[in-house]
Amino acid sequence: MNKRLYTTPEGVRDVYDGECRRKLDLEAKLRSRLHLYGFEDIETPTFEYFEVFSEERGTVKARDMYKFFDRDGNTLVLRPDMTPSIARCAAKYFKDETGPVRFCYCGHTFINNSEYQGKQKETTQLGCELINDSSVIADAEMLAAMIDCLLEAGLKEFRIDIGDVRFFKALVNESELEEDKIQVLKDYIVDKNSFGLVDFLKEENVSADMIEIFKLLPSQFGGVECLDSISTITSNQEALSAISHLKKLYEMMKAYGFEKYVGFDLGMISKYEYYTGIIFHAFTYDVGEPIASGGRYDNLVGQFGKKAAAIGMTIITEKLLLALTRQGLLSAENSVPEIIDAQGTESDAIKKAAALRKEGKSCILR
Amino acid sequence: MRKITIALAKGRLAKQSMKILNQLGIRCDEMNDPDTRKLIFEDPEHGFRFFLAKANDVPTYVEHGAADIGIVGKDTIVEENRSLYEVLDLNLGKCRMCVAGPSSAKECLNNGSLIRVATKYPKIAKDYFNNTKHQTVEIIKLNGSVELAPIVGLSEVIVDIVETGSTLRENGLEVLEEILPLSARVVVNKVSMKMEQERITKLIRDMKQIVESS
Repeated sequence: MNKRLYTTPEGVRDVYDGECRRKLDLEAKLRSRLHLYGFEDIETPTFEYFEVFSEERGTVKARDMYKFFDRDGNTLVLRPDMTPSIARCAAKYFKDETGPVRFCYCGHTFINNSEYQGKQKETTQLGCELINDSSVIADAEMLAAMIDCLLEAGLKEFRIDIGDVRFFKALVNESELEEDKIQVLKDYIVDKNSFGLVDFLKEENVSADMIEIFKLLPSQFGGVECLDSISTITSNQEALSAISHLKKLYEMMKAYGFEKYVGFDLGMISKYEYYTGIIFHAFTYDVGEPIASGGRYDNLVGQFGKKAAAIGMTIITEKLLLALTRQGLLSAENSVPEIIDAQGTESDAIKKAAALRKEGKSCILR
Repeated sequence: MRKITIALAKGRLAKQSMKILNQLGIRCDEMNDPDTRKLIFEDPEHGFRFFLAKANDVPTYVEHGAADIGIVGKDTIVEENRSLYEVLDLNLGKCRMCVAGPSSAKECLNNGSLIRVATKYPKIAKDYFNNTKHQTVEIIKLNGSVELAPIVGLSEVIVDIVETGSTLRENGLEVLEEILPLSARVVVNKVSMKMEQERITKLIRDMKQIVESS
């Protein structure tokens, strides 16, 4: 017997028994939550042309994608991410639409990350995208939808950290650093490495005032008060307008009653050019990585031929399920079907089973 | 109170970092017992838990959140390249990552010819030669006593940690190029930093004070 028939390749796995039911139930619950926000279901293909996901349009490196060729020699990839596909659809099917378009989706994504790191290569992303709306209300609705979904799933302790890439971009423009130096600076800020950052900026002869501001970025995170402390030390108009945007957002979160789940992190900047406004991640205990994330990407749809603002968020279903399991928040009420003995009394048993099933109760005939 | 777990890289670094923690009143006397076979130690009073791991594994524990905080050398952080916050330089165990070899090997570093590089740090070596020097090299991964490689003709040069350089000198080798300075760093899991912000930032602030005052 071929042993390979029994094992799945590294990074993919079977989902079965109660776990599969719990996952599908969770997905169904979250989708109906998203429907309440007016999002409409969409399905896109599992694989697409490589160009749809190429680096300026995605958040996954080209070498981390599963690539293959079609008969005509085109490069195809298994989607590493859902958003570029949705952006492509929006540009194609809603070309002349000027009002907001809302999509929600649930699909498998594939990232060919390195081996032996204990990470799955196939994950389920469930999320939504709101196209053609650049308002702060759209930002708030997106955050609210995410928080609502996490609450609906049964999660109790979690935190959404919000940042705004415009804040960092404004400061960088002021500092007049070169493109490759900006990348180094970004790495320091993303790693919250303020000591390395200060040495680097001194070497680059950035003004002392600017160093003071950049130095604060890795440590300015927490409640809404961190926005106030940073707005006192810069007079950069664009940076300040990003902060006032976040404050407005916070006020709206209060109106939803969600402010206790919200925090801010101005050092949260994307390594990719993809995001243009707010970005956010959701964290909880017992899972070492964000369980959900999202942000505003006003240039992406334009790359597919339709100029449109857009914002989206994605929940990684497996990670959410893992958090719920580890925190003991899943009710183990997988109902056991009633067993009906049909030996000799087949027609009675069949009628009984049919009646039970009509009432919505599960049963097994044997 | 949830326990905060700290992973320490085994060896001298663990002892030195415990000294800093002791100054903060965080004690774990069990750990000093040379006969103990325990792998995990606690300071219940302050809500900390410690374990010792092989240096290369510390970033892995922290990335997955199995440890909230790790103390490990910069060399390991760069080589492992995990997604972490690197929040504090402890200024301990200072040394340099270098290209070393016999002085005759200088030439092949300058003329960009294809050379063989033996190292315990294949990622750092590859990144340095490909992206900084733009030189095509063959990397040979070794697991220890890297200095042997140029002596017995396995490679032209090595990439390794140099502290005083005495091992190199005794074997007729010298530092040819410097790649990056190294020291011990405090790394933090990205989620723990947010979920336990208050306690972790306080700990780091306190450690920073001690490092700066010493």
